[in-house]
Amino acid sequence: MVANEMTQGEQVNKQVLHLLSGVSTHGDQHLAEVERDLVQMDVLLGEAIKKLCASFMAIHHAVDQQQEAVKALLADSMPEPKYAARFEALHGEISHHVSAAVTGLQFQDMTSQLIGRMLKHLTGLRDVFGELDVSDPVLPESSNEDMLVNLNRISDRVSARCSEQAGGVRSTVKQHHMESGDIDLF
Amino acid sequence: MAKTILAVDDSGSLRQMLAFSLKAAGYGVIEAVDGQDALDKAKLQTVDMVLTDQNMPGMDGLSLIKALRAMKRYEKVPILMLTTESGDDIKAQGRAAGANGWLVKPFDPARLTEVVKKLIG
Repeated sequence: MVANEMTQGEQVNKQVLHLLSGVSTHGDQHLAEVERDLVQMDVLLGEAIKKLCASFMAIHHAVDQQQEAVKALLADSMPEPKYAARFEALHGEISHHVSAAVTGLQFQDMTSQLIGRMLKHLTGLRDVFGELDVSDPVLPESSNEDMLVNLNRISDRVSARCSEQAGGVRSTVKQHHMESGDIDLF
Repeated sequence: MAKTILAVDDSGSLRQMLAFSLKAAGYGVIEAVDGQDALDKAKLQTVDMVLTDQNMPGMDGLSLIKALRAMKRYEKVPILMLTTESGDDIKAQGRAAGANGWLVKPFDPARLTEVVKKLIG
């Protein structure tokens, strides 16, 4: 049967099949791209933090040694009190910055957890899109009743997937303030 | 002799920052990458304190606490949770499992060592 000989119902059935297949295929393709980018983002962030941690440790070690050397010099040369005080002030300032850096370097862990959660959601969404793909093809010549039965089946499968995933990925990162977290002793 | 703390986290950078902060305060640190790894290490050597994350692949923090509390030598060893989670429900679960305290990430080194000092000296 050629297209212009189809009844209106058959044309609608064909269009519905085309639409579902398109949503399934294109949706999955786009989500796969997002998934790849998120994985890459996680790798890059992980690598960045690894390098930052290594540099931080090296800088801290070098500053520590420098401070020891200055301390020894000050002890030997009887400096004016203002220099000793300045040295002590700088020591405190460095400790403050070190603490801030240690706190700051922990944010990647939270970002990584969020990316992991996003990836689980994406996998779930790809599964839902997969259910839209008509694995048991409905012929365009099928009656409206056949099509309705098939659409109901698809709808049931989508609902089942959504129910499976509901609450499956608990949110574990809700930090909104950018300082260190609370402490509760029981 | 320096007190030893078992630091459990699946994040390498977090473990590194924990070890850095605790060693700077004079403590010995043993690192574990998840609950099972921590349990294995805790069996080999009794530690003075455990600091654990909650969400880790395999055995999570709450399961680790329950497993440790079931061991005679870890009945009274202080265990602190250090996690991104801050909900009342999960905190109550931690407390029921036997945790002595709950720290929300990110930690501040001075505040962390202050708490550790309070618990194990």
